[in-house]
Amino acid sequence: MKIRAGIFHLLIGIYSVFYVIPLFWMFFSSFKGNGAIFDNPFGMPESWDFGVFLEAWNRGGLAKYVFNSALVTALATSLVLLTASLAAFAFSRYEFKFKKQLLLLFVLGLLLPIQAYFIAQNELFEFFQLKDQRFTLVLPYAGLGIPLATWLLKAYLDSLPKELFEAARVDGTSDFGMYRLIAAPLLKPGLATVAIFTALGSWNEFLLANIYVQDDDLKTIPAGLLAFSTKYVTDYQLLFAALTVVTVPMIVIYIVFNRQVVAGLTEGSLK
Amino acid sequence: MKSTNRWTPYLFIGPALAIYTFNVLIPLLGTLYASFTKWSGYGSPVWAGISNYSRAFRDTIFLNSFKHVFIYILATIVLEVIIGLILAGIISSRKKTDGYRIALFVPVMLPMVIVAVLWRFIFNADFGLLNGFLEAIGRPEWQQIWLGDQRFALAAICLVSGWVYSGFYLAIFYAGIQRLPRDVVESASLDGASQFKIFWNIKVPMIRKLWEVAVLICITGGIQGFDLFFVMTNGGPYYSTEVPTTYMVRMVFRDQEIGYGSSLAVIVTATVLLIGLIYSKLKKQSELVEY
Repeated sequence: MKIRAGIFHLLIGIYSVFYVIPLFWMFFSSFKGNGAIFDNPFGMPESWDFGVFLEAWNRGGLAKYVFNSALVTALATSLVLLTASLAAFAFSRYEFKFKKQLLLLFVLGLLLPIQAYFIAQNELFEFFQLKDQRFTLVLPYAGLGIPLATWLLKAYLDSLPKELFEAARVDGTSDFGMYRLIAAPLLKPGLATVAIFTALGSWNEFLLANIYVQDDDLKTIPAGLLAFSTKYVTDYQLLFAALTVVTVPMIVIYIVFNRQVVAGLTEGSLK
Repeated sequence: MKSTNRWTPYLFIGPALAIYTFNVLIPLLGTLYASFTKWSGYGSPVWAGISNYSRAFRDTIFLNSFKHVFIYILATIVLEVIIGLILAGIISSRKKTDGYRIALFVPVMLPMVIVAVLWRFIFNADFGLLNGFLEAIGRPEWQQIWLGDQRFALAAICLVSGWVYSGFYLAIFYAGIQRLPRDVVESASLDGASQFKIFWNIKVPMIRKLWEVAVLICITGGIQGFDLFFVMTNGGPYYSTEVPTTYMVRMVFRDQEIGYGSSLAVIVTATVLLIGLIYSKLKKQSELVEY
C-alpha cells in the first residue's frame, strides 16, 4: 500500500509540476535580460533583481489598470448583488401579475451568449455617449451578471421556510423590512457565491472592455496589459515582469480563499 | 404571499429589469434588426432583407470558422472534461490531495488575456518554453513556429484551453464524487472491485449530471470562444484559427459591416439556443427512461 501511495504522489506530483511550469517560467524570465531569455529560455536566471517588478509597474502604468479593474469590479458586483437580490426576493415570495412572463425574460438572459447583443449595445452606448467614460463598463457587466444572479438567489430564497416570512407579516413587518431583516441576512452564502463569480467575471472580461474603452487611462487589466504588450513588444523581460505582477496577487488571494473561490465558480457555472 | 402594497413586487424587480433591459434586451432586438440591414454605422441603416444571411451561408471564411470551432469543442471535451474526469477519479481515490487540487485550479483564476499573452511566449519560435524544452531534450528538429503554422496553431490554442479548464472540471467532478454516498463505494471495494472498476462503473455513472452539464458548457461556451483566439492568433495564419466571434468582431469593428456582422451574431446565437434546447429535451427524455 505504501508503495502504491508513493507512486500515486509521484505521478500526480510530476503532472502538477508540469502544469504550473508555465507560471514559474514567467516568474523566472522576469529576472533575465533579453539576451538570456533568447540564449537559454529553459535556464534559471543568474541574478534576482526584484526591482524589475517596480519598473514594470511604473513604466507600464499598471497602477491605473489595477485601479480601474478594482473600481469597475466593485461597482458592477455591488449593483448586481443589490438589484438581483431585490428581484429574487419579489420573484420568490410574492404573487403578482406578469410574474411568469417577467421571470421568463430573466431566464432568457441565462441562455443568451454575449454575441447576441454586443454589436447593438455598442451602437447604443455610442448614441448615448457612454463609451470611454470612467464607469462605462459597470452597466454592461451588471447587465451580464443580473440574470444568473437573480436565478441563483431566487433558488436560495425558495428553499427558506414560508413560516419565517408569514410570522414577520403577522408582526407587521413592511415589505422592504422583510427583505432587509429576514431575506438579506439568510441570503449571505448565496450572495457570497454570486459575488465571487460576478467579481471574477468582471475582473477578467475582455471582449466588451476592448471595444468600449480606447482611452489608456480608463482601461482595465486585460485590455491594458494587451496594450502594454503591443507597446513594449520586444522588451520581453519587462513583459514577463508585468505579467507576473498582475498574476501573483491573484494567485495568492486564490490560495488563501481557495475553498470559497472554487465553490463560487463551480456553483455559478452549474446554475 | 401577497405584498402589503401591490406595487412592491414591481418596485423590487424594477432596478434589475431596467439594467437588464437597457443592456441586453434592447440591444438584442437591435442586433436582430440590424441583421436585416446594410449599415456602416453612419447615416441610417438600409433595409436589405435576408441578403446578409444568404451571404453568410456562402461565406467560406465564416463556414470554416464553424469547422474550427467544432474541432476546438471536440478537443476541449477531451482535454478538459475527460482529463478532468480522469484526474478526479485518480485524486478522489486518495486522501491529502489539497495541494494538487489547488495547483491544478490556479489557471482558472487568471484573465484569459493574460493566459493568452503568456502562452504566446511559450509557443514563441525564438525563445519559447516549448522550443527550449525540445532543445533541452535533444530534439531541436521537432521545433516549430507553433502559432505561425497552419498545421499547429489551432491545436496550440486547444491545448491552452485544456491547460486552463481541466482543473476547473476536476474541481466540479471531485466535489460531486465527494458527495456520493459512502456505503456504495465502500461496499464495492469490500467486494474486491478494483479502483478503476469503482471509478468507471460506479463513480462516473453517478455523477452523470455533472459531466453532462460540463459537455454542454464546452459546446455552448466553445461556440462563443474569443479571448484566446483574438490574442494568440486573431484568426491567423491564413484564417486557420478563425472562429465566428473573431470574424464577427473584425467585420463590425474593422470593416464597418454592422449589418453583416449582426447576421453572423444572430446565427451564432440561434446555434447556441438550439443546442441548449436540444440538450434540455434530451435530458427530459433520458429522465423519463430512468424512472
